[in-house]
Amino acid sequence: MRTVHTVLGPVPADQLGAVAVHESLLSVLPGAEHAFDVTIDRAEIFETLAKKLTDFRNAGGGTVVDVTGMFHGRDLPLLEALSRSTGVHVVASTGMGPEELLGGYFLTPQTNPPTPWPADRFAALFGAEVTAGMAVPRVERRAPAGLVVTAVTRIGRTATDESLLRGAARTARATGVPVAVCPGDDALGDLEIVLEEGVAAERVAVAGLDRRDVARETVLAVVRRGASVVLDHVGADDDEHLTDRERADLVLALVADGHAGRVLLSTGAIGVAKGLPDDERPLAAVLEGLVPLLRSSGLDEPTVHRLVVENPRDLLTVRPGEEA
Amino acid sequence: MSRVNTVLGAIPAAELGVVAVHEHIGYGMPGSELDSTWWKIPEERYAETVPKLREFHEHGGGTFVDVTGICNGRDVDHYRSLSAKTGVHIVACTGFVGGDTALPHFARATVEYLARHFVHEITVGIGGTGARAGVIKVGVSRGGRMTALDRRIYRAAARAAVQTGVPILTHLAIDPEPAVAIFGEEGLPLDRVLFGHADDGPNSSITPHEWLLARGGRIGFDTFGYETELPDPPFWARPRKERLDHFLSLLERGHLGQLLVSADANCSPLGWPGVKGHTVNYLFTDLIPDLRDAGVDDAVITTLLVDNPADFLSIRS
Ligand SMILES: [Zn+2]
Repeated sequence: MRTVHTVLGPVPADQLGAVAVHESLLSVLPGAEHAFDVTIDRAEIFETLAKKLTDFRNAGGGTVVDVTGMFHGRDLPLLEALSRSTGVHVVASTGMGPEELLGGYFLTPQTNPPTPWPADRFAALFGAEVTAGMAVPRVERRAPAGLVVTAVTRIGRTATDESLLRGAARTARATGVPVAVCPGDDALGDLEIVLEEGVAAERVAVAGLDRRDVARETVLAVVRRGASVVLDHVGADDDEHLTDRERADLVLALVADGHAGRVLLSTGAIGVAKGLPDDERPLAAVLEGLVPLLRSSGLDEPTVHRLVVENPRDLLTVRPGEEA
Repeated sequence: MSRVNTVLGAIPAAELGVVAVHEHIGYGMPGSELDSTWWKIPEERYAETVPKLREFHEHGGGTFVDVTGICNGRDVDHYRSLSAKTGVHIVACTGFVGGDTALPHFARATVEYLARHFVHEITVGIGGTGARAGVIKVGVSRGGRMTALDRRIYRAAARAAVQTGVPILTHLAIDPEPAVAIFGEEGLPLDRVLFGHADDGPNSSITPHEWLLARGGRIGFDTFGYETELPDPPFWARPRKERLDHFLSLLERGHLGQLLVSADANCSPLGWPGVKGHTVNYLFTDLIPDLRDAGVDDAVITTLLVDNPADFLSIRS
């Protein structure tokens, strides 16, 4: 059976419904959990997130993919309880990045010299989160991760970013989960590194491609290479990203160019932020904002369905990996 | 009134007894908690830790200063339970082992924010534990030179030390000129600073002890027991006799009042294998006998292990 790894276990892929594919439910800047002025009230966080997930479900949403990775506030018991209570499937991720967000364990280990981790060690760390289950640090493992995520330093790839990309790619190849990458200033170069590791292009999603500093040529090159693009700031109203009108035009252009199967949409919202600015955009911004815009611009219903249901389903469906 | 913050509340300095001034219940680099290689079930952690603390207590040990930084697996609730069950006073720290162990929330922070955080942990408490930090930890990042972040942490620590009266312990005392300059600028007398790891293998020869002592700093011979004679010594190990002779030479030159000793051992390491056979009890089983064999009298040993740490740890008003 074709299944997806959710926090509550495997779910048949055709039951995901409409998917918000690149979101952060609880996002904690590493270290903020120790800060004197940061309060982590789990009951309050639950209530806030449950409301957002319920609104999403009421807007027709079925599944939320949490791409915070393993070291940015991921709280598995909380995500499990949210999924059980709201009926929304939650797919959680392993992985981390960019370099600046890593702990010293990976960057200045207790060896002489303190050599940063190479790709194979990251691959083993992330891979265990898929094969043995996601870690509740020093306590236990829970359900297998549904995807592996990493990110590259915005101003340019560091050596450790490259190790992270390769480690994430090897994880995807070995375990059959997809890999999502937030690129730096060279999205195509970042993608090439992932593909060099032998992961199929269709298993790779490149996020953040609705940034203003990303040329349309780059977006086209990513899809022509066979990877998916995630336009993951739907509803954003800032200087850094396209407007929804511009985003809709980009989607229409990609569809017209024959790439409807390579486009993913998301809000990139943060449900609850700790140590970071809040982000009040609703998870349903794709379904309630962009999709109506696409429809009124002439996008047909099968293509809408493809973008919000079929593409995420195909990406998240776990393929037999080398370890299977 | 003399007082020292322990994890179970303030105590008078007279109650500290013999102090191990630079130790770890369990240390791991930030992020090591994600790697199940190192996980231990709670039974195992207690089984590794409690007998060492009980032995410490039976040897006459009074106080265990844990200098595991904020993001290194510092676990104050665990320390509270250990202290209550073994009778060993445990002092916890605020601060960081070095800039390279401060996670992004703190790495991005200003000096003012870091100082507020340290002061909060010293005067209000650490997280929701109710326990107040008794010392501030700072340190030099890997690489041997103080980074910009290390310096922000040192300056914030100096401000918190001036404001609250708790002392500072450093991880490493190499490249100390910027540190001494920062402490001077912030008005912190150097007898409130223990310049640590002045005795380890790679760093002892590049740590300017005399320069620091002349300015009133305290010097930590706080890696006693990390010896090249161990079956599997770490890279910071040093020949046993070389460290001891080095220490005795400082005593002979009259620096007793500025010296502190400890073992920097892990009771139950969190993110590394630890060093087999090395515990805080080295102080009793090896160091004290070695000092006696070298002709050091008991009054000097008491000064090193009781009086100096009491003076150092007492909150200065
Ligand atoms: Zn130490």
